[in-house]
Amino acid sequence: MNADEAVRERMSSRLWRQAGALALAALLCGLLLGGLSAWFLGSVALAGLSAAAYTFNYHVPGALIRLFAIGRTAARYGERLIGHKAALVDQTRHRIALFDAMAAAPATRAVGWQLADQARLADYLDDVEDVDFTRLRSTFPAGLLAVGLAVVSLATLFVAPLALVPIAGLVGLAAAATRRCARHGVSLLSQIRAEDSVAAGAVGAILDSAVPLRAEGRWPRLCWDALQGFSRADLSLKDLRHHQALPDALASTLGPVAAASTIAAAWLDGARSGDLLISVFVAFSWLALGETAQGVSRIAVAALRAHAARSAIARWTESAPSSAEPTEAPAEPSRLHGRALQRVAPDGRPLKQPLALDLQVGRPTILVGASGAGKTSLLKQIAGWIGDDALQGDDTALTASERRSFAMVCLHDAAILADTVRANLFAPSAPDDELWAALEAMELGGRIRDAGGLDGWIAQGMLSLGEAQRLNLARAWLSAKPLILLDEPTEHLDAEQARRLIARLLDRLRGKIVVIASHRHIAMEGVIELPLD
Amino acid sequence: MGGDPALWSIVALPPLIVAGALAGYAAERCQASAETRVSIGLRALSGERLQALPATLLTSLPAGALTIALHRHPQAVARLVVGHRAAVAMTAGGPLLAAAALASVSWPSALLVLLLTPVMIVFFALVGGAMQARAAEQERSFRQLAGQFADRIRALPTILANDALAIEADKLSGRMNTYAERTMGVLRLAFVNAGLIDFFASLSIAMLAVFLGLGHLGLATLPGFARLELWQSLFILMIAPEFFAPFRRLSEQYHAKAEGLAAAEALDRLLDPVRSPARPVDVIAVDLDLPSRGLVVITGPSGAGKSTLLRRLAGLDGVTDAAEKVDHPTNCVWIAIDCLVVGRSLAEAICADIPPPTSERLCAMAQRLGLLDDGLLPGGLAAPIVPGGANLSGGQRLRIAVARALLSDRTIIADEPTAKLDAVAARTIRLALHEAAAHRLVLVASHDPELIALADRRVHLQGGCDLEGTA
Repeated sequence: MNADEAVRERMSSRLWRQAGALALAALLCGLLLGGLSAWFLGSVALAGLSAAAYTFNYHVPGALIRLFAIGRTAARYGERLIGHKAALVDQTRHRIALFDAMAAAPATRAVGWQLADQARLADYLDDVEDVDFTRLRSTFPAGLLAVGLAVVSLATLFVAPLALVPIAGLVGLAAAATRRCARHGVSLLSQIRAEDSVAAGAVGAILDSAVPLRAEGRWPRLCWDALQGFSRADLSLKDLRHHQALPDALASTLGPVAAASTIAAAWLDGARSGDLLISVFVAFSWLALGETAQGVSRIAVAALRAHAARSAIARWTESAPSSAEPTEAPAEPSRLHGRALQRVAPDGRPLKQPLALDLQVGRPTILVGASGAGKTSLLKQIAGWIGDDALQGDDTALTASERRSFAMVCLHDAAILADTVRANLFAPSAPDDELWAALEAMELGGRIRDAGGLDGWIAQGMLSLGEAQRLNLARAWLSAKPLILLDEPTEHLDAEQARRLIARLLDRLRGKIVVIASHRHIAMEGVIELPLD
Repeated sequence: MGGDPALWSIVALPPLIVAGALAGYAAERCQASAETRVSIGLRALSGERLQALPATLLTSLPAGALTIALHRHPQAVARLVVGHRAAVAMTAGGPLLAAAALASVSWPSALLVLLLTPVMIVFFALVGGAMQARAAEQERSFRQLAGQFADRIRALPTILANDALAIEADKLSGRMNTYAERTMGVLRLAFVNAGLIDFFASLSIAMLAVFLGLGHLGLATLPGFARLELWQSLFILMIAPEFFAPFRRLSEQYHAKAEGLAAAEALDRLLDPVRSPARPVDVIAVDLDLPSRGLVVITGPSGAGKSTLLRRLAGLDGVTDAAEKVDHPTNCVWIAIDCLVVGRSLAEAICADIPPPTSERLCAMAQRLGLLDDGLLPGGLAAPIVPGGANLSGGQRLRIAVARALLSDRTIIADEPTAKLDAVAARTIRLALHEAAAHRLVLVASHDPELIALADRRVHLQGGCDLEGTA
């Protein structure tokens, strides 16, 4: 994966260099095309007045005009194509990095998962796009505009220096307006982001509680309030676009104003007919540059968006610990014990009294206790998902991250991936008959055959809670890990079926350390009950 | 002469530039305002549609997709009906204006660019049709990709629990590459389209420049190109690109169009009121003349329609038969695991939308339901609650809902109030509901035998009843 990453990175920077070069070529071709055509017309017009008409070599300038015209088109579309390709390569890279970062974030293991709602996730996807397209939307156009301004201003300085006064004035004005727009933009954009995320959360919450809210008559008001949040964000967006109108209007006058000023300044300087041709050339270059200056506020806003998006993404990528997974796994333990384990809550608070723990292969331990007793937290702590205390293995102490690499956790709210049954069993190396054996043992064989076999596509909504639970137990059945932690494995199953399945599962897992958290009493031979107060 | 028009154009230039900038400024602002108005209006309309959907149907809608729909789709549709339409109108009017300006100086040059128009329109039709199809496909594949990404993020704890992160990341990466390739396909076509228009623009300008140049040299006597003043040819050279610019701008709008159409379609699909709402089958001919007080428990095996009956009795699911309603719907308070938790503290969450109780009653109630000495929710009544109640367990949510219901004096409707609770908490809630039933109606759906035993009246639903289909 790292080699892939390096290849992608090299490819992306090569593509960006090509795109930058093409963009520059397109700009120069555009400037020269505008200038040369005008100069050509002017000089043929002058030649036409004299006998030089018959000797005027119009082939060379004519050919150059065609060259620049074709060059501009080719370079412009080449730049777009390559630039978009580079941005897409970056996007793939960054989305995977974001996925990895989210996976590595401690919150993912500690407290269920907060990002489950699609709306906020869509925001993150947009953020990645904002960051990756910022070169195309902001950096390149801004750079080209700066280069173009510098080149054409320099030319103007030699041809008609006086013209630089109104031009500099206009550019200064447009820059000031853009800055003002950007200043408003920063606060408006953060307002929009905040409003949108609050509203998205509110809509998600009321949809989850639609039935009670409807019954109590609270729905219309809450729904209206939530939608108002989106609409307030829309109004802020309108404000931003209104602010954008001024710099855009100023920038749109740059071409004509600069062109007119150049010719007027040259004229005032006393240039006539033939001497005026060069200034006509520069004037038409200004007109061509004017096209690049269109929509200057969009450049600024794209930069602001990218900035906001970057800091939103950084929340994930920076908080993620650099993968500290042990490189060489210690030997698989047959016993895991601690004399006084300080239990912790998911947020890191110490919880109740320290606990003596002794987990052994072949002697499944059942954590029993009322809801809220911290069974799940203890299970996650044993798995190394929360807390950072060591537990004693066979002969060495095992840190949390070492235990993580040993543990298979069967979460009580485990999800079904929208994928094939095979992918959902998470046993890529197991042969088909072993997968089927696991499904049959968990009494899912018939159901899966009906759904299209191992390669049938399933999703969360297609299985009942009980079926999802049994699929989850089949994952534990197939797991190759030495430490299996089952959270509420009997939930959603009727008592008789639960007893059958757990007995079979425990028999299968006899060679492993097994810990079960349950609020139901599980009567089974050879298990140790560990009551949590 | 010719000095006159040149002079005129010099005099007219500054006001024209200013007028152009002002018009652009006004147009931009108007477009922003109009798009916002459309977007907000459309969202309000969507809100009304939501209101009209029966609650059961509402809960069956995918919440994430619906949130995105309410957030972004109105914006996308507004861009289509305002921004895109403006670009279309410009494509109709802009070139004609430019041609008219050209004709005022030299009609053959206007004719030349007009002659190129049909060629461009043919290309527009040819490439545009293919592109629209591909853009729509890309839009679909983006949604698919976003859906898959969302699914994997949702399932991240499960993926980690099964040590499958590397596999899933590889899979995602493969899918994203496919998406990137598909996107490049659309972009290539789009850029070919814009590039062709650009090419024709360049071609026509080069032809014009050559004709005009030959005319100036006196080497050709094409009618309309010969004996032009220099300012006239420069004017033609300046205006001709404007003839093609609107076409190019429209061709770059393909994305707004595809997105807008997809958004409109998705909004329609989600909020269509005629889409067969799960009409409750009229099978429960239980003439429930419910008492004004007492504990009424609806029992039956899971799938028998207990929840459905509760909803119907509360007047939800579009059944407006007044006889079946428990009082007025706003006069009830609901207890279920999916109750909304609002407010920033435990006290605010308990008192949401009920007449504020005295602090002693509130404190006593919270104490009684074990909300004050919960190790996982420290801080007593001031315990902070994050938006959406994400830091609460199912049992805590349920107990908050019970406290709220008991503190109000309304009819209580409860759906499985003792599920997901340990024995002690369940007993507390059973007793509290039983007590409340002395003064008001408490209507419960439950399969908890101890709660059923406390009931003043039982309604037993048979299993296999066809109500199941509506649940």
